[in-house]
Amino acid sequence: MYTSPGVGRPYEPDGFREFVQARSGALLRSGWLLTGDWPSAEDLVQTALAAAWPRWGTLRRQDAPELYVRKIMVNTFLRWRQRRWTGEIATGRLPEMQAYGDAFAQIDARQALLAALDRLPARQRAVVVLRYFADQSESQTAEAMGCSVGTVKAHAAKALARLRDAPGLHELMTGGVAS
Amino acid sequence: MNTEERQLSDLLHRITPEPPRRVTVEDVAFRLASQAGRAPGRHYEPRRRFGGRGLVPALAALAVFVVAGLSAGVVALVSHHSTPPVASGGGPTTSTSAPASATVSSSATSGPVSSGQATQPSAIHGGPFGAVLIDHQTFTQDSLVAGDGALFAIAPGSLDRIDPATGVVASVPVASPAPGAPVVDGHTVWVVSYQPGGVIELHGYDASTLAQVASWQVTALGAVSSTVEGALAAGPDGTLFVAAGITVVAVDPSTGQVTQRYFLNSASASSVAVSPDGSTLYVGSGSFRVVKFAVNGAQRTGDSTMNIGGAGGNLVATPGGLWGTVGIGMSEWVWYAPNGDLSRAARVSQGAGAGLASVPAYSGGHIWIGGGQTLVCADPSTGQVLASANLPTDNGALEYFSSVAVTGGQAYAYYEDQPSQRSGVVRMSLPAACASS
Repeated sequence: MYTSPGVGRPYEPDGFREFVQARSGALLRSGWLLTGDWPSAEDLVQTALAAAWPRWGTLRRQDAPELYVRKIMVNTFLRWRQRRWTGEIATGRLPEMQAYGDAFAQIDARQALLAALDRLPARQRAVVVLRYFADQSESQTAEAMGCSVGTVKAHAAKALARLRDAPGLHELMTGGVAS
Repeated sequence: MNTEERQLSDLLHRITPEPPRRVTVEDVAFRLASQAGRAPGRHYEPRRRFGGRGLVPALAALAVFVVAGLSAGVVALVSHHSTPPVASGGGPTTSTSAPASATVSSSATSGPVSSGQATQPSAIHGGPFGAVLIDHQTFTQDSLVAGDGALFAIAPGSLDRIDPATGVVASVPVASPAPGAPVVDGHTVWVVSYQPGGVIELHGYDASTLAQVASWQVTALGAVSSTVEGALAAGPDGTLFVAAGITVVAVDPSTGQVTQRYFLNSASASSVAVSPDGSTLYVGSGSFRVVKFAVNGAQRTGDSTMNIGGAGGNLVATPGGLWGTVGIGMSEWVWYAPNGDLSRAARVSQGAGAGLASVPAYSGGHIWIGGGQTLVCADPSTGQVLASANLPTDNGALEYFSSVAVTGGQAYAYYEDQPSQRSGVVRMSLPAACASS
């Protein structure tokens, strides 16, 4: 009775596949900065893309799919921090495995970065990722987080102050690490 | 950015590693299929609240896996019927006797594949007009309509019927439904879907049972618009009008015959509306133009543009003129054009952006606009606001109320609350100023 949409168009919104292919890498990297590990980052990105799927037409028309996906990622991350991680105390972080061919220096740098980000409250961390990694403007960051531009500025200032005191991070920021 | 901010940005870009693997569409489809079977209220969307309601996204997921080439045999899980060749919908003329497009069937009888159970209505704190959530389904934001005593909406891959008294949802799968609302004409609900190759399918469903009662195919001339939004409309006599490439076709719903084609010059039609008296067809295209046609005779009677560089759509015709949406980037707003003349259009509402659609709805004799800071009821002839309610926020995020439909003396709207991950249909009292149609 019902017509299959045909191979190649299985109830899948136009342009969704192209977006996932083009942007999932960048979204995963943002997810990694938010959560500190790849499985959680994948969970975050998949959750956001699943939310975007049914409203893809509107998002494309508004030219806002990535902003929306990032908004869902941030809100999901904040919710996880509220519900899943309350009471958890981080006592250390296992280093990334070398399966991806990283040099030890890079691993150290990344561990230092994640340790510094772990010092931030969730909202400050989200602002750091959106503003300084995802290159979102203050107004875009405010929209993604559902707050005012002034609040974004305040979070950013407080985050920078905390990161300034994080062990080893200042040297990384000013000295650089080979990529 | 100051120096310290630039240094931090450089550091983040420099040492954040590449992911060991990428997320794929198949991953997301699997997530959707997995969510379908989970408990209500735990996940945002596109979940199905009731056991059987999980079938549609599961089918979508299966179909995606099919495309991934895992198993051609899985195609059989998505029921399939062969479609006959599609005949031409007529040449580039405006003849009223254009040849019929291929008719596929008119006697299909299958009912909905799934239906749900009633859930306990729950009040929404600060909701407009005493809003109460009556179900927990996820729909396409601009697709809720009322007709034949029920509510209808489009969900990903399905047409849904919502019982306004109980909130019970019944569902029937529809392949690739086009963005926009279904059209209810008498006891039939019509949905349009665009298929590869310019084939347009008009599916008719019984408004009570969701049994499919008709399926017609028409052919687009020229490219189908990539910004289709509200591509199907019905005249007061039941004639269906559907955007079909650089034309709009009028289709007799009882026979599937194309009775007229209305030609744009070159742009593809993205949205259509018919005046309440059935005399004028409005066609939106590009970014953004509205062409008016006389329904009888197909002569152009007007042509106006809104030069903002953004696409428009969601046309709604009222006795006073034309309503619709247009947007640039993240911003989208609702406009009102007296007599359908875009040169006289005025912005009447600003949408919230970021995927939250603000669209006009014409129901119960009034225009309703939500999706922004307020939910507004307006006079359809003058655009004057008759009633307005501020919309609540949850943890700083604006809650979404839009796509208002009036039936049985009450108003209904589609609702989403992102922080609490709730969505569904809300029931509201009609404000006194908007209670009479």
